Amino acid sequence: MSNKTVIECEDIYFKYPEANQMALKNINLKINEGDFIAIIGQNGAGKTTLTKLFNGLHEPTKGKVFLDNQDIEDMKTNEIIKRIGYCYQNPDHQLFSRTVYDEVEYGPNNLDFSEKEVEERVQQALEVTNLDDKEERYPFTLGKGERQRLAIASVIAMGSPILVVDEPTTGLDTNGIVQIMNLITEWNQRGHTVIVVTHDINMVAKYVPQTMVMANGRILAKGKTREVLTKKEELKEAFVKQPQVTRVGDELSEFGISKDVMTIEELYNEIKNKIEKSQDYERRAE
Amino acid sequence: MPVGYSIYVQEESPIHSLDPRSKLFGLVAMFAIALLFNHPLPILALLIGVLMVGEMGNIRIKTLIPFLLASSWFVILGIFIWPFYIEQGPELFIIWNQQITLDGVLFGLAMGLRVSLMMMTAVVVMMTTSPQKLMVGLMKIGLPHKAGIALSTAIRFVPLINSERVTITEAQRTRGLNLEEGSAFSKAIKYIGVIGPLMLRTFDLMMSLSLAMDCRGFGAKKGRTSIISINIDKRDKYIFAAFIIVIGLGILARITGIGILLPSYL
Amino acid sequence: MSGNDYLVDIENLKFKYTSSEELVLKEIDFKVNKGEFVGIIGPSGAGKTTLCSIIKGLIPHTINGKIKGKVDVIGKDMKVTPPAKNAAKVGMVMQDPEGQIIGLTVKEDLAFGPENLEWDPDRILERIPEVLDMVRLSGREERESFSLSGGQKQRLAIADALMMDPELLILDEPTSELDPLGREEVFDTIKRLKEEKDITVIVVEQTVENLVNVCDRIIVLNEGEIIADNNTRDLFKQQVELMEDISGKVSLPQILEVTDKLAKEGYISKEMITPFEKKGIENLKSVLKEGGSYNEQ
Repeated sequence: MSNKTVIECEDIYFKYPEANQMALKNINLKINEGDFIAIIGQNGAGKTTLTKLFNGLHEPTKGKVFLDNQDIEDMKTNEIIKRIGYCYQNPDHQLFSRTVYDEVEYGPNNLDFSEKEVEERVQQALEVTNLDDKEERYPFTLGKGERQRLAIASVIAMGSPILVVDEPTTGLDTNGIVQIMNLITEWNQRGHTVIVVTHDINMVAKYVPQTMVMANGRILAKGKTREVLTKKEELKEAFVKQPQVTRVGDELSEFGISKDVMTIEELYNEIKNKIEKSQDYERRAE
Repeated sequence: MPVGYSIYVQEESPIHSLDPRSKLFGLVAMFAIALLFNHPLPILALLIGVLMVGEMGNIRIKTLIPFLLASSWFVILGIFIWPFYIEQGPELFIIWNQQITLDGVLFGLAMGLRVSLMMMTAVVVMMTTSPQKLMVGLMKIGLPHKAGIALSTAIRFVPLINSERVTITEAQRTRGLNLEEGSAFSKAIKYIGVIGPLMLRTFDLMMSLSLAMDCRGFGAKKGRTSIISINIDKRDKYIFAAFIIVIGLGILARITGIGILLPSYL
Repeated sequence: MSGNDYLVDIENLKFKYTSSEELVLKEIDFKVNKGEFVGIIGPSGAGKTTLCSIIKGLIPHTINGKIKGKVDVIGKDMKVTPPAKNAAKVGMVMQDPEGQIIGLTVKEDLAFGPENLEWDPDRILERIPEVLDMVRLSGREERESFSLSGGQKQRLAIADALMMDPELLILDEPTSELDPLGREEVFDTIKRLKEEKDITVIVVEQTVENLVNVCDRIIVLNEGEIIADNNTRDLFKQQVELMEDISGKVSLPQILEVTDKLAKEGYISKEMITPFEKKGIENLKSVLKEGGSYNEQ
């Protein structure tokens, strides 16, 4: 993990103009290059609001945001977009082109890349999102999961080193969710910093190494997913449930099962090992 | 307090409690009456009358002022344009080789005030009648149920469509859409990035809605009942009668020439 | 005449959209008894929404398509009955919270259905507080529908359907657009319906974890066919291949996947496979207590 800080929030407070209360309070946060971090918490906790401060859509009421150690207030919109890409929750809020290719091309075309660079970026984005065989398709003939991948493709084609994805798995079936999580993992492995706002705690436990928990505009916990998901008090305050396997592992802890089980495979393996080790064990041959 | 998607102001007042049908009739009647006179004085009197009705409706002058200001634009336009076309009446001065007469200025004033009168009547009616009651009133007069429901559903979606537009604009902005720079023409072209998804989303919503309406029995029976009840009572009948009388008087005035500045003009 | 009074009686149902040659539903036999709470699960594109739309009558009347087979719902042949005509008997809640709310305020939205059925306005106003209480939205009659949260909107949609006191309520993925809190609110409402009302419910869901606590019976739809139909407890125990068929396609409760795998590899007995969290913990505790031995049933 790199030590270079790409996003830093210093003492942030934020209030929407029409509101009475602060939507974000006392936010102090550093995200490093190459991090893959999930932001979890219920609707209204401030997750999306915080990410909108990262890309300058909102200005903090108090405090400062730094991108690569530069104060975001001094940066022009175009400069910000080149550093941080933001993919909105509902792909239908973005898609409007005639073909998949046109859609992905839209973003990079708005920046000052050469024709050749645009083409390269589009191809790369289509490849990572597994849409390269669907270039000529009309976006609205694609299924929901494919449209979601298209929306992500159209943002990553702009080539920013940081990617924020807001609830990319809402409304998708299991297969769709797995594809999205695989693609953002791949994008992170290619050296990009990825921040994903999500509700799906099982997916976070399975795919995302770092997690941040928010509630009522504050950060309650931040760190390795494995550690954060055992902080029962903070999770309770944020109305976030632990994954079922973690809860089960916790209930079985008196038998030696770990309290920080993250996935089905882990729980299976731990129980299997305990059973194999015990004395009266008699394994039935198939 | 005003309800977000319409100019209706929720209050208790004798005007609010009138049946929407009498108010609608008053509105149409006022339009007709405005056309009957072309001297500024009777029109001004009617305008003041409408503002007094607004007062009776507990509408504060503060809320009416933006509309008054908007219509004053037409008054100014009237005073500056019409005199170039009217030759009757005593001369006031000459500008650009054109004779400007008193009658010309007064006529222009009357034309502008007419717009003011029509606008303010509509505004006072809409501010004192909830959209729901208006819809029920229209349907009782004969507006088909489907049209009425379509209209009120459209109103329900205005805040939603607006918030979608904001979200879409933000989303496209993060893809580099720049609506701040460039000529008006290029901005219009760029706006397709917002209009496109917005139209599609609206279309989706409409489709969903028609399914939901079918699920909940829309069209199952010939008629519809409504939890909003409107009743024509004595006061409403007086209103109908009063306006009919005024229209009658207006026609009389038009024929005899009272309150008419220029008989050959509308 | 058969003495069975099924609420939903579907036999040999085949369906395709007019624009394509492919059958979306291939040979569906599906019967629901009065009072049952049935869950429908399956991957995207399996035909779940299509099946619900056919039961409600949206297909073929509002949405075009070719249906073959028997589709009787509460005594009416839905192939010839438009959905508006059985609105009093069958209510439906769909996925998109925004696309179902018609009225400007909660009160107006609730009144929409009964108004269409020419109910007396007093009867409508009387029923509103009852229904709002059922979905825990009491006192919000005058709230603007736009200002409700996602979970509240979906509960309002359920209330809209309940206004007409239907015998059958269909919910098609009611929580897929909601956050976990909204999802819980909706499922608590469904649970309450089960405990307090005499109503038959069909729920389509992606997250099976929530479904198992509410449904006695679950059917699994895949590629237009019903590949499993059983009570919740036994569904996954008895059909070994079922887990393999749907494991990657549907989000099954994690406890189910773990107990299933342990049983398949012979570490625990098949009887211990369960989709229920509490039962699963109990079972695993008993296994670990005894040090891993178990008795063949």
